[in-house]
Amino acid sequence: MDAVIVQGLSYRYWTDGPVVLNNVSFRVARGEMMAVTGLSGCGKSTLCLCLNGIIPHSRDGAMAGSVLVGGKNTREHKVSSLAFEVGLVFQDPDTQLFAPTVEDEIAFAPENMCMAPGRIRERVDQVIALLGIEELREANPNQLSGGEKHLVALGAVLALDPPVLVLDEVFSGLDDAGRQRVAAVLEELRSQGKTIIAVEHDLESVAFADRMLVLDEGAVSRLDRTEALLADREFLLAGRLLF
Amino acid sequence: MAFLALNEVAFAYRGQQKRAVAGIDLAFDLDGITAIVGPNGSGKTTLTKLMTGILQPDAGEILLENRTLRSYSLAEIGRRIGYVFQNPEQQLFCATVAEEIGFGLRHQGWGPSAVRERTGFYLDYFELAPYSNIFPLHLSRGEKQRLAIAAVLAGEPGFLIMDEPTAGLDAYRKRLLADYLHKVAGLGRGVVIVSHDTGFVQRVADRIINLENGRIRGERWQRGDSLDAV
Repeated sequence: MDAVIVQGLSYRYWTDGPVVLNNVSFRVARGEMMAVTGLSGCGKSTLCLCLNGIIPHSRDGAMAGSVLVGGKNTREHKVSSLAFEVGLVFQDPDTQLFAPTVEDEIAFAPENMCMAPGRIRERVDQVIALLGIEELREANPNQLSGGEKHLVALGAVLALDPPVLVLDEVFSGLDDAGRQRVAAVLEELRSQGKTIIAVEHDLESVAFADRMLVLDEGAVSRLDRTEALLADREFLLAGRLLF
Repeated sequence: MAFLALNEVAFAYRGQQKRAVAGIDLAFDLDGITAIVGPNGSGKTTLTKLMTGILQPDAGEILLENRTLRSYSLAEIGRRIGYVFQNPEQQLFCATVAEEIGFGLRHQGWGPSAVRERTGFYLDYFELAPYSNIFPLHLSRGEKQRLAIAAVLAGEPGFLIMDEPTAGLDAYRKRLLADYLHKVAGLGRGVVIVSHDTGFVQRVADRIINLENGRIRGERWQRGDSLDAV
């Protein structure tokens, strides 16, 4: 079974508001990486919130269609249950960082899932090593730079080792070394069989994705192999996706 | 006389032994676009907050129009230097997008029709007109970024500092922003951007300052490409 199945997904934030997602359908196979791009306001972040159940559980509004992650229908399972299937790194890392130290931040989710202390320590060490942020272990996340916060937010999500990762502009605010580090991490995770959906404006950062989904005013404009899409300069220029 | 000058400026956050920035000697005039680049954690955002008086240096001095920055109120600094935060939500607080853009102008005593006209210009330029009556926090990240930029630019400050202005912007809006910054700089206003977006920096900056571990490691000049060449 595919890791993510989205069928006829439509969404408005309020019942008489504009349609933010319009009949979106796609599947992502296990171990595949799919990039999602489009002009700002086209529904990318809203799609992310639909993939981990925040929509519909924590947002009112009108949702149509279905989202299945790891076989679980997001309407029928709580966000806490879906957290074992899918981890979301928000576009603004400040939204999800709150612990006094980076180590505490990464340990929080496993602690709340009652993982054994020894296993938590092991998991935190693995994630910190994977991300190369040992020097930030004792730091207060609030005092980190924007790019460092993004890495810590990614670490906090990786701590539960979900099979599916949804990343909303995870490369944003990262310097070249940080981008390379995150790209290497994602390549490693993909080689381990993780399914990755990465929203990104900078197409170069996600050029290694298997496929790319382009949204336009909430609807699927194109879904294609990344290589083919990035080679179609005419399409990218027409869609105003090239700088 | 430089518009803004930093002399041996240093700063450490409370509780931190290591200085976030140290030995900073920089001068900025009211022209050209300067980019401050460097690795994550190198002190770029801290430096911009010192330049706008949000933070006070532990050592050294900052002069604005040849007067110590400490002698200005934040409001006085705000009338001279426009600052766009890295996270746009930190500076959005009005009930609608249009109000956000017009806020500074109304508080400077502009009349209603002048406010409407200036607001209308920036709503159109940044393609925010369809959202003029929307609550700003309901916008997407990129739309919020555009709104924060528009709200600061509406006051047409003589000097502009923007922290990661392209974060959340799609390629098309980056072009619009680059185009606008070239125009602003051409009108005799200074612009400083902090950015990891090397493509954007190459496209717009005349001067690039490299910050590493809180210190200036290098400075070079280039001519920011004209968008006509694209």
